[in-house]
Amino acid sequence: MTEAPAVVVEDLTKRFGDFVAVDHISFAIGRGEVFGFLGPNGAGKSTTIRMLSGLLLPSDGRATVAGLDAAREAESLRRRIGYMPQLFSLYPDLTTRENLDFYGGLYGLSDRDIERRTDELVAVIDLGRVVDQLTGTLATGWRQRAALACAIIHQPSIVFLDEPTSGVDQAARRQFWDLIGDLAAAGTTVLVTTHLMGEAERCDRLGMIDRGRLIALDTPRALLDTLSGTVFVAEAEPPLQAVELLAGQDFVRDTALSGARVRVRVARGLKDPEGVLADALVAGGISAGPVRPARPSLEDVFVALVGDAGEGDEA
Amino acid sequence: MTYPDPLRRTLAVARAEWTHNRRDARSLGIIVLLPIVLLVLYGYAINFDLRELTFAVQDWDRSEASADLVDTMVRSDYFTLHALVEDTREIERLVERGEVRFALIIMPGFGDDIASGRTGRVQVLLDGADSTTAGVALGYMEAVVRSHSVDLVRRWVKRSGLPASAAAPALGVEPRVLYNPELKSVNFIVPGLIAVIMMMLAALLTSGCIVREREAGSFEGLAASPIAPMEIMLGKLAPYAAIAIFDAVLCVAAGRLIFGVAPRGDLGALLATSTVYLIASLAIGLLISSVARTHQVATLVAFLATMLPTMLLTGFVFPIRSMPVVLQYIAQVFPATHFLIIIRAIYLKGVGLGLFVREALLLALIALVLVVAASKAFRKSLE
Repeated sequence: MTEAPAVVVEDLTKRFGDFVAVDHISFAIGRGEVFGFLGPNGAGKSTTIRMLSGLLLPSDGRATVAGLDAAREAESLRRRIGYMPQLFSLYPDLTTRENLDFYGGLYGLSDRDIERRTDELVAVIDLGRVVDQLTGTLATGWRQRAALACAIIHQPSIVFLDEPTSGVDQAARRQFWDLIGDLAAAGTTVLVTTHLMGEAERCDRLGMIDRGRLIALDTPRALLDTLSGTVFVAEAEPPLQAVELLAGQDFVRDTALSGARVRVRVARGLKDPEGVLADALVAGGISAGPVRPARPSLEDVFVALVGDAGEGDEA
Repeated sequence: MTYPDPLRRTLAVARAEWTHNRRDARSLGIIVLLPIVLLVLYGYAINFDLRELTFAVQDWDRSEASADLVDTMVRSDYFTLHALVEDTREIERLVERGEVRFALIIMPGFGDDIASGRTGRVQVLLDGADSTTAGVALGYMEAVVRSHSVDLVRRWVKRSGLPASAAAPALGVEPRVLYNPELKSVNFIVPGLIAVIMMMLAALLTSGCIVREREAGSFEGLAASPIAPMEIMLGKLAPYAAIAIFDAVLCVAAGRLIFGVAPRGDLGALLATSTVYLIASLAIGLLISSVARTHQVATLVAFLATMLPTMLLTGFVFPIRSMPVVLQYIAQVFPATHFLIIIRAIYLKGVGLGLFVREALLLALIALVLVVAASKAFRKSLE
């Protein structure tokens, strides 16, 4: 990448008393990239976004957003970024259009610009049906789209979306990710947080965050590849006993029931895993079908990173 | 129209706040109905005009003149004679129990004094625990006694043939009832009520505006935008200032229509001082809103913090001069203390701003302190 990155984070840290919410994380986001922040609730994703938006001062380290220091140049920074908070932040007793007017005004847009942008956003985000409805009466999926429209009314070059799809149904979630894709295609840099592993695959790159630490940073593809050859499925009868049996094996890292099938993740570097698993099932008196390799999920990657670190304590 | 950015941002906030109030039935109720309801309720409930002022008489003199005085008082329609008593302790007991509002003690030689052109002395024992009633009772009594005294002097002049200038006042009281010659408390209550209602309403109105947003989460989007704290504050206050001034006018009009009490003095001065007073009140609400954790708490605190001290400590009901010294100093802190003096002067005395410059300046000073405190608290709440 020849251009300067949109976001550069170096050793960013936030402490609340003794609690370290964000622990020396560093990463960079290129222009027009969709960067995902993946981790469970309370991992420090929102705290990081709030520091990047200049809403919280870091305890340590620094963040440069759009070439500006997030702590010291928060004022000018705020004009260039769009921020969609985790909690629904539009006025419920105002219509979508009135909320757009409000946010347009906050960013100093002229009445004519607000009107033009509203028309554009209604077309792009397909808000036609809800633009004159009170946002408090909208279904969650529509609300989130209205909130996205308000966050980008001033055409920011960088957008922070904090859990934009939480509480949104499957279909609406897919549509929302299509919108994120459109934004990036138009050159906007997007930082999006989620705790849903499934949708995280749509990001260009992913940072996995756990207890304030960045534990992995790569493309979804590369992250999934780290587990290739370690996840298997097999038909087994009775399945529940099969899961219990396999969970007790020392080469097994993770087991789960997936329908009538058993899903297993084994230690990396295990030789002939299919054979070993089949033998173990037979030895346990379980009638099993053939053991087949399966596609790992990002959840597998996350659990592997957190669990295999061998720290013992459950998060 | 093209405006500079700070104005655009402030207007955006003001417009959203305005629309919110327009759509919120509760806000509309507070804005339109509450002032009228309070004015009517308190205007009728707090009635200092006590038609049934009971009194007792202890007559040491037992002369024609003393009987004449008592008779005049009873005929005046204001007083009801409860008992004629012999014993001084009995009188004290009646007053203590509140069976009578006051007692009249006519000293020996009262009749002789009047007959010979000297001043007849009358003692009055008042129930000081209820200073307001006592004050009203005394005022009424003085008025009645004065007119009786004039009668007596006239009779004495006629009988003695001496010029009226040689006569001493027949009864030793010289009542001077200024500014409220009808002795009707409604003239006194209504302007006071308007002050209390304005303070309470303005604080109630703004008490929700910050805490509500914090509770709902809408503050986050606002905080992440380029808007400055001062712009948010002004934008939030502007619609409420307009509403509060509207309510002040509503109260003045309602006072005129319902109670027939209208300001006699300078309306411009009333509007100007009301505006300063309302700014102070709005700032109190904003201060509460910035500090409170929930909307409910803010509403309750705004209500208590304005209603109670304004009712009790500012001279609305109890005269400041009859308070303990410590409370007299504390009373100076409340904006209503000074505004009450101004609004009553404008209503009752019919004067202009020139006569209460000191109160107006103190009011402005308090308003300034409150605005600064509110904006500090507000800035802090953003962090």
